[in-house]
Amino acid sequence: MASTSNRVDYSPIINRPKLEWPNGARVALWIAPNVEHYEYLPVQDGPRNPWPRTPYPDVQQYTYRDYGNRVGFWRMLEVLDKHKIRCCVSLNMAVLEHFPEISKAMMDRDWDFMSHGIYNTRYLYSYTEEQEREFYRDNIETLRRHTGKQLKGMLGPAISGTPATPDLMAEAGLIYHTDWMHDDQPVPINVKSGKLISVPYSIELNDSPLFRLNYEGDYFANIVKAQFDQLYKEGAESGRVMCIALHPFLIGQPHRIKYLDEMLTYIMSHDGVWQTTADEIAEYYIDNYYDEAVAHSQQFRA
Amino acid sequence: MTAQRRPGMDHEHHDWSPISTREVLRWPNNARLALCVIVTLEHMEWEPPEGSFSTDVVGGLGIRPFPDYARYSHRDYGHRVGIFRVLDTLERHGIKPTVAMDVQTAEKYPFLVKHCMERGCEIIGHGISASQMISSSMPVEEEADYIKKAVDAIKKATGSVPEGWMGPEYGESAHTPQLLAQAGIKYLCDWANDEQPYPMHSPSGEMFALPSMLELDDVHALWTRRVTVQRYGLLLKEGFDAMYRDGEQNGRVLVINIHPWLMGQPFRIGFLDDALGHMVRNQGVWAASGSEIIDWYRQNRPKG
Repeated sequence: MASTSNRVDYSPIINRPKLEWPNGARVALWIAPNVEHYEYLPVQDGPRNPWPRTPYPDVQQYTYRDYGNRVGFWRMLEVLDKHKIRCCVSLNMAVLEHFPEISKAMMDRDWDFMSHGIYNTRYLYSYTEEQEREFYRDNIETLRRHTGKQLKGMLGPAISGTPATPDLMAEAGLIYHTDWMHDDQPVPINVKSGKLISVPYSIELNDSPLFRLNYEGDYFANIVKAQFDQLYKEGAESGRVMCIALHPFLIGQPHRIKYLDEMLTYIMSHDGVWQTTADEIAEYYIDNYYDEAVAHSQQFRA
Repeated sequence: MTAQRRPGMDHEHHDWSPISTREVLRWPNNARLALCVIVTLEHMEWEPPEGSFSTDVVGGLGIRPFPDYARYSHRDYGHRVGIFRVLDTLERHGIKPTVAMDVQTAEKYPFLVKHCMERGCEIIGHGISASQMISSSMPVEEEADYIKKAVDAIKKATGSVPEGWMGPEYGESAHTPQLLAQAGIKYLCDWANDEQPYPMHSPSGEMFALPSMLELDDVHALWTRRVTVQRYGLLLKEGFDAMYRDGEQNGRVLVINIHPWLMGQPFRIGFLDDALGHMVRNQGVWAASGSEIIDWYRQNRPKG
């Protein structure tokens, strides 16, 4: 039975079957805006306190994030539209219910929808298996009701999970999990039933950890370009995935937005970039490489 | 025990010796500087065993509740992807890597052990796992057993007893150097207090410190201090330049500790490549592994 300790089989990237993306692309690029809602008065029901600075509400932190939905999202959208980016949103599903204009804007652009939980203030850590099953039913149903789309993947709410998360995701019919920062290619995740893979997300090329610290937009643009250069070079041998993770309340600040434009201008000027979504990467990988990857990794077992 | 107020160190591990008073150390072919890159291959456990001690094992989004997928998998990136970029970079510059390998890597990643050996890396001991440090909270018998396990695992995986040692997170108790010497270790990289090797007092055989530059450790600079990667590349170059200049008078050793999960990320590797290229372009730089440096030092160090 798979547990945290054997969820992933070892497979060194230099010794894998060649990964070929559609049209011979070197890099599959997906842009993941995290469109979130943090509750004004959350309930702490586990080890993590959503607003640790003050007793609830924490108006400073709450409004800092809500700015993303009122203002930042729309500023971010102008730049994404300029570069014709089709995103895979990492979505707190309750946003579909609270903010219909945001829902419509994402639908109008034919984005793909990855779950990021219901609210960013409700974590999975303390869920029983039955609660977590209900959580997936809620995610799947809410997305279908508002968009007509089938849910395919998840970045855990605020990147939280339980030991059973991959099993329960696969049981619910999801095919990819992006909480794994372990690779530059998709990787099979061992689950009890069905097929689940990781699709590389990023906590390094990610405005949230960066701008919580003493980095700024110019640094974000520089490391994104450096990341792209390296993966683009390596992608000539075997395909790579690159993800840029955004949060509208951060990247949509007036003093930062030009750096999003700068990085996308740079990347999109290259041939051989498959600008895609995590849904499409996951489906392509499972259709073409999953079985081979599982078989190939057996030789590396200790 | 508090320090005795008298000249010299407040411990018995080595003598006091300011670099300004030392006789001249020369490296092979009269090189000014010996360059050693330690590549730390360590595994982080999902849940460290009860009673084990560690400082915060960094990575991911900081320490989150179990199961911390982000932090665990961020560290695992080093074994799956980052290590190969780091080894390629060192090879390009003719630097023989000194790989600090923990028990969990030696036992669970036979491909990596073989790969490192085929590429001519020297493999040194690095404890059991990143999440199990040595510290004074370990009884001395338990520490001796821990060290034995780590040395035996490297011996089993590589066929040889490791000559060098670097503790996970530079962890030691007050007994560690003596216990390591008794386990057959010849040199120790935890002590970050010098720019030349120096002898340590050993109960059995000779043992030396091969001091590493803590400020140039990638985790210390990029994660703990949050220096930008561009500035880190410059730190490496500026540090080298000053030591290279000083090495003309008296040889220096520059030991840099690199972690593949961090420095092996696509956007970082180019800065290591650039900095190492800057170093090895100079005449009089001897790129060597830890044991090569210590062997030379043992035979050629100025006496007295």
